[in-house]
Amino acid sequence: MAKRLSAEERRASIITVAKRLFAKTGFHGVSIDEIVKEVGVSPAILYRHFESKEELYQAVLQEFSATRESYVETVVADDIGFEQVLRGMTTVFVASIMNHPDMLKMEMHSQLEGSTASQEFFLNRWKSFTDYIEFNLTELQTQGKIKPINAQAAALMYQGIIREVLLLKCMQPTDRLKDTPVALLVDEVITLFMKIIEPKRK
Amino acid sequence: MSFDAELDAKGLNCPLPILRAKKAIAELSAGQVLKIVATDPGSVKDFEAFCKQTGNELLSSSEAGGAFEFMIKKS
Repeated sequence: MAKRLSAEERRASIITVAKRLFAKTGFHGVSIDEIVKEVGVSPAILYRHFESKEELYQAVLQEFSATRESYVETVVADDIGFEQVLRGMTTVFVASIMNHPDMLKMEMHSQLEGSTASQEFFLNRWKSFTDYIEFNLTELQTQGKIKPINAQAAALMYQGIIREVLLLKCMQPTDRLKDTPVALLVDEVITLFMKIIEPKRK
Repeated sequence: MSFDAELDAKGLNCPLPILRAKKAIAELSAGQVLKIVATDPGSVKDFEAFCKQTGNELLSSSEAGGAFEFMIKKS
């Protein structure tokens, strides 16, 4: 029998269990029955806090958004360039996902399940990067500082490599690059990414 | 409230609104006010943090119809 918790503690404990189960098998792969069984409460208690599984899922996403990365510190420094900001932002983002690997797992499930609301939620987190890269590469081209490049494709490519690093380090138990720390790996892929953005010769 | 320059950061995610505000403020003189309109809900916390770190004054922060409006006075 679960010990008596306050309503707030109970709600938090349901979210914690739901997060783990949603990460494991996705929204459709978990039933309310399984969740209440793991929490150790009756369905009636769960429904007292959440009207439906959808609402519980949204509450889990809501909790993730409370851990939303702040890039302010990274970008307020004086005379900071495109590459430095990108490195700073990526460090913050990668650390955040490494601390909450369940978020990445839920993102992968959401891709397969095709719920628009959750896909939008996860896409929005990547949008910080794609917006930043697209905007700056377009501006640098307008200023004639770099050679012509498709900014949208570059942003997509960046999202792809960072996501692959995170997938490798968070989800797939494999020997591949096992001895390379995630920070070093990220550093290397940013260096490679920067090589495609060639400065224009005078 | 009157302002001296306006920045439209609608549809952009953090940190772009912050970076663009930083640029726009650099072009103002001390005491002048920049108005920023953004749609990213995270911008509320971000502009508070931005002002705290840069020493500029956040005169107001409000929401209307899904858009967030900030008035920042350059210190």
